[in-house]
Amino acid sequence: MAWTGDFLCDTFKREILVALHDFTITTGSVFKMALYDNTPSFTAATTGYTVTGELPAAGNYVTGGETLTNVTPTLDTGVAIIDFPDLVWGTATFTAYGGMIYNSTAGTESVCILDFSGAKTATAGDFTVQFPAYVAATAIIRIA
Amino acid sequence: MSIGQGNSGGAQLGGIKVVTTSNEGLSVDYWTDRLLERIVYVAEDSDSVIKEQALAFKAQIRAVIFTYITHAIKSDRTTLHGLLLQKGEPQLADIIRRLN
Repeated sequence: MAWTGDFLCDTFKREILVALHDFTITTGSVFKMALYDNTPSFTAATTGYTVTGELPAAGNYVTGGETLTNVTPTLDTGVAIIDFPDLVWGTATFTAYGGMIYNSTAGTESVCILDFSGAKTATAGDFTVQFPAYVAATAIIRIA
Repeated sequence: MSIGQGNSGGAQLGGIKVVTTSNEGLSVDYWTDRLLERIVYVAEDSDSVIKEQALAFKAQIRAVIFTYITHAIKSDRTTLHGLLLQKGEPQLADIIRRLN
């Protein structure tokens, strides 16, 4: 088993059409990012959060992952874009190979799979996930 | 996701980057630059006049952002110092105080 790339989950594409995911700031769904070791085989067919392969609760990692801060979606040149501020695990000591963003409000439905392209290790340091620029060409989730 | 005739596009995922450290946190410079990138994004293909103005604005506010982030860190260390004193740890509190 290994990471095979980034995926926007297929079920997410259907679920946004039935208003299951709300990215509105403060009042929307609560999205989280969980971190995983090198054992999962996530794909676009992944449907929800799982503890299988998730990092253990150690080294300042809490099972379930960290809560993301919503940014109310907007339009940029006709493209609907979603954004989150960067995520930080402080004073972290762990190694992760990838993450899953999921909706913890709606029953843990998965949004996307993010492949870190190898082991990323923090040792009593910061483990930071940088999100891309919030524009039509690069935003973390874009619907054209 | 395509709607109607002739439309192209779809649902796409952007790329993230992971940055880690060992035995220290990320610097004020790092967080200043990240915040600047979020506040002022200048596309490479922007109009040259607009691009120049945006980059000039970015340079001007960088020092302000750096200063306020530094202030926030100092304030947080002050809070930690007070908490450690309350908990009867004056030596630890003094280590924090000296960081400021």
